[in-house]
Amino acid sequence: MAFWKLLAIALSVSLLMGGLLYQLVSYYVLYQAEKNVQNLLLSHRGLHQYIQRTMHPAFYAYRDAGEIPLTFYAPEILSSSFMVRVQHTYYNEARKEAGLPEVYYKMAATNPRNPVNIADEREARLIRQFNQEKGRKEYREVIEEGGRKYLFYAVPFLANAPRCMKCHGRREDAPIGLQRRYPGEGGFNEKLGYIRAVESVKVPLDREFFTVHIIWGSLFAGTVAILLLTLFNRSLRDTVLRRTRDLEIEVAERQRAEEEVRSLNADLERRVAERTRQLAATNQELDSFAYSVSHDLRAPLRGIDGFSLALLEDYSDKLDDTGRDYLQRVRAGCVRMGGLIDDLLQMSRLTRGELHRETIDLSEMASAVAEELRRQAPERRVETRITPGLGAFADRTLMRAVLDNLIGNAWKFTGKTAHPVIEFGSRREGGQDLFFVRDNGAGFNMEYQGQLFKAFQRLHATREFEGTGIGLATVQRIIHRHGGRIWAEAAEGQGATFFFTLPHEESYA
Amino acid sequence: MLKKTILLVEDNPDDETLTIRALKKNNILNEVVVAHDGAEALDYLFGLGRYAGRNVAEPPEVILLDLKLPKVSGLEVLERIRRDERTRLIPVVILTTSDEERDKIESYRLGANSFIRKPVNFEQFSEAIRQLGMYWLVLNQGPNGRKG
Repeated sequence: MAFWKLLAIALSVSLLMGGLLYQLVSYYVLYQAEKNVQNLLLSHRGLHQYIQRTMHPAFYAYRDAGEIPLTFYAPEILSSSFMVRVQHTYYNEARKEAGLPEVYYKMAATNPRNPVNIADEREARLIRQFNQEKGRKEYREVIEEGGRKYLFYAVPFLANAPRCMKCHGRREDAPIGLQRRYPGEGGFNEKLGYIRAVESVKVPLDREFFTVHIIWGSLFAGTVAILLLTLFNRSLRDTVLRRTRDLEIEVAERQRAEEEVRSLNADLERRVAERTRQLAATNQELDSFAYSVSHDLRAPLRGIDGFSLALLEDYSDKLDDTGRDYLQRVRAGCVRMGGLIDDLLQMSRLTRGELHRETIDLSEMASAVAEELRRQAPERRVETRITPGLGAFADRTLMRAVLDNLIGNAWKFTGKTAHPVIEFGSRREGGQDLFFVRDNGAGFNMEYQGQLFKAFQRLHATREFEGTGIGLATVQRIIHRHGGRIWAEAAEGQGATFFFTLPHEESYA
Repeated sequence: MLKKTILLVEDNPDDETLTIRALKKNNILNEVVVAHDGAEALDYLFGLGRYAGRNVAEPPEVILLDLKLPKVSGLEVLERIRRDERTRLIPVVILTTSDEERDKIESYRLGANSFIRKPVNFEQFSEAIRQLGMYWLVLNQGPNGRKG
């Protein structure tokens, strides 16, 4: 739920609670004020009773005894309303001194003997009301006069009893002193049983309402605070719950993603394993194929050569020179084909199986190759320039095959050069070591370089330079297996340079 | 003269003929027994089948063993020879067309005394046979110590 909606609800509840609290507190405070008013009225009533029951009998006793003249009348002594009024005046003075607000008190009558006691409009209305509803014992109301609030409280005075009628009946029946003291008609001609006055009290409620506001304010503020806290707490809880839900969803999503990755990985691994198996099977087949080739192709070749020689040896007298020449050609073919088979086997053998990379000294290897070539053809004078200390991280056996082929080729194709020079060196280019084998031999036309590394493709006639056309194909496959490149630059009659690259050791880390 | 028999285990008739011819050409005139497959070689060596009743106590002086053979392969024949007390000391020369590294390693592991690849060129083949005969039949002192 939206925060603002909640806030609105909280505020409404607060206001409702505030109203209720206000009513409750007002009621309580007014109740307390009313108690005080009642005390005041009761003390006044006590004074009335004192005059009626104590003073009057004493006075009449003294009069009857002739100690007081018949005409004597002193309202200061005998009028309870007078005495109460005076006493209340002193009471207010005392209150004033005590710093308390004055309390309005009046014994109000519609037909008073003393005009001071004349009932105002509200009091007159109340007198009528009390007379209509005889059982009613009190009236209370909070009124506002001159911007101040008062508790207005009224109780009916005594209903006229027969003994009251002596003074409040017909004028001529009243004691003479009374008649003299009050020349008007006020206070006379009352009816028996009629409630002729109300005691009305007005107490200012400033203090009380101040108290109400303080208490209500505290309670209301407390309520609002609690509500807001509840709301905040709820909102906090909502937020926490929402975040928790979000997090749970996220976690679930991640788990799903992880699961997916795992299953993808598993699938990938399975496929890799499958491919590896297939490759292994293919390799196995290639292996057995190569084995068969090695064994089965060579055997008949040996037969052809062997029996050709047997013919030459055992039946040479039955053959003329041409026949013998033919047989020699048959034998030469056999030897060439044997070499071809051997080269093919070497290529297949060198290019399958695992690479065993290690740090090797290519310069040393190149020198060994050159040495071997010199040993095989001691009659040749070939200058070799080998840059020392050229290292590589590669398979020793395969790199030996590479140098055997490249330097062997250089050796072969410089066979008709006056001052043959074979060079092995390197230079750094684009972060890679670039090795090269250079010769000043027959070279070749760059137009045909596309054929260079293809198996069985030869750029020179066999009668010119021997070869099977497999060497460079093997070299290229080895370099490619190492992740390197190989290419050549040459010109016919001006020698050839073979370049190859090998990745650095760090690239395998 | 000592009766030194050569056991030639060879399934290819061309190779058989050429080998025997090469032996003769090089004046190696020992008796050559030819077994045409691995099973026949074992029969000969252990006096079984066609060779039942042969005196097993007279083993050949040297065995020339091809690897690629029908029925029982050359490597298996070699293994059986080396496993049996009666034949384990006979020199065995592997004479094969193959030059597969694993064949060489396996042959030596199983106790071959030599591994020779048959060259295509007959002159070279003949030379190999000559050296073989010279070495195993003349120079080498066999374990048998039989008198002639």
